[in-house]
Amino acid sequence: MLLVKSIIPGLLFAAINAFGAPMTFKDSTVLMIEGAKDFKRIESSYAVSGKESIGLRLFNAKGQRRKVDGGGLFYLNRIKRVNKTNSQANLWLYLELGQFNLDKRNVEKNHIYLSPSIQFDYETKRLYTSLSHQVLRGAHENFDRTQFKSGFSFYEASYEKTQPWFILEVMNMNSLSKKVAVIPTLRLINKALFFEAGISTKGEPKLHIMYTF
Amino acid sequence: MRKIIFILWLFVSTTAFATTQKIEVLGMVCAYCAQGIEKSLKTLNDVNDVYVNLEKFFVLVESNNAGIDEEKLKNLIVDAGYTVQKIENINETIQNVRSKYEK
Repeated sequence: MLLVKSIIPGLLFAAINAFGAPMTFKDSTVLMIEGAKDFKRIESSYAVSGKESIGLRLFNAKGQRRKVDGGGLFYLNRIKRVNKTNSQANLWLYLELGQFNLDKRNVEKNHIYLSPSIQFDYETKRLYTSLSHQVLRGAHENFDRTQFKSGFSFYEASYEKTQPWFILEVMNMNSLSKKVAVIPTLRLINKALFFEAGISTKGEPKLHIMYTF
Repeated sequence: MRKIIFILWLFVSTTAFATTQKIEVLGMVCAYCAQGIEKSLKTLNDVNDVYVNLEKFFVLVESNNAGIDEEKLKNLIVDAGYTVQKIENINETIQNVRSKYEK
């Protein structure tokens, strides 16, 4: 029971993190930063094979009367990919294990968290759709997080040129918020650079940048 | 004069002995993902240039020798997450093909 209690705040934080499948090709390294009004994170991952990646993440988040700082290790596995001439579909498994310090009403405490996620995505040169679900349970509560992203590219771009996309992100977090968050986002892709900037319907900006070395 | 002849000979021989391999790739729909193909292929010895065409779903590899081993090419592309449909030699340089598609 004690363990479950200590894990819950970690699960709450993990729910804040977006699952982005930051993996490209064997021996590549991805650097990612993400920021919004109440959370920031930086992470780096290394693709040990064409299907698996491991990484390290540092984060900081703020909520009502609580602050959290920490970090963890994560493992990403591309369970299945289906390649067609005009499309690509992927199924990803994501596991994260870490520790963080929670400052709740000026009382600090360390916690361990474990969070699995699964994601399906499908894309063509002009369309993108993804659906992800993060399993977050504990102490008779359900903090599961479901995220849906879908959008289109304004035009088809060649490999060397920047391709702009409009992506609509819809996210729901059980127990944390009764409202569904909706974030219209502009995505720009230029080879090794992946850039997203959005503003939620509540007027809160969000930034997400990935670079592959 | 000898210098000029040598440079001309070097240019002609390099062009004459260069091999261009065309690889048709399935699933190559995004530049962020496809960059893995370009980076992996450029790590190979003897590769002069690599060209990725998202529009027609192919990759070109230009090398100095008789061409890169097809199995090696296929493995690198599979490691980047893609499926190879076909590999063939073509009688064009990357420069020519690039000029056709990139305007």
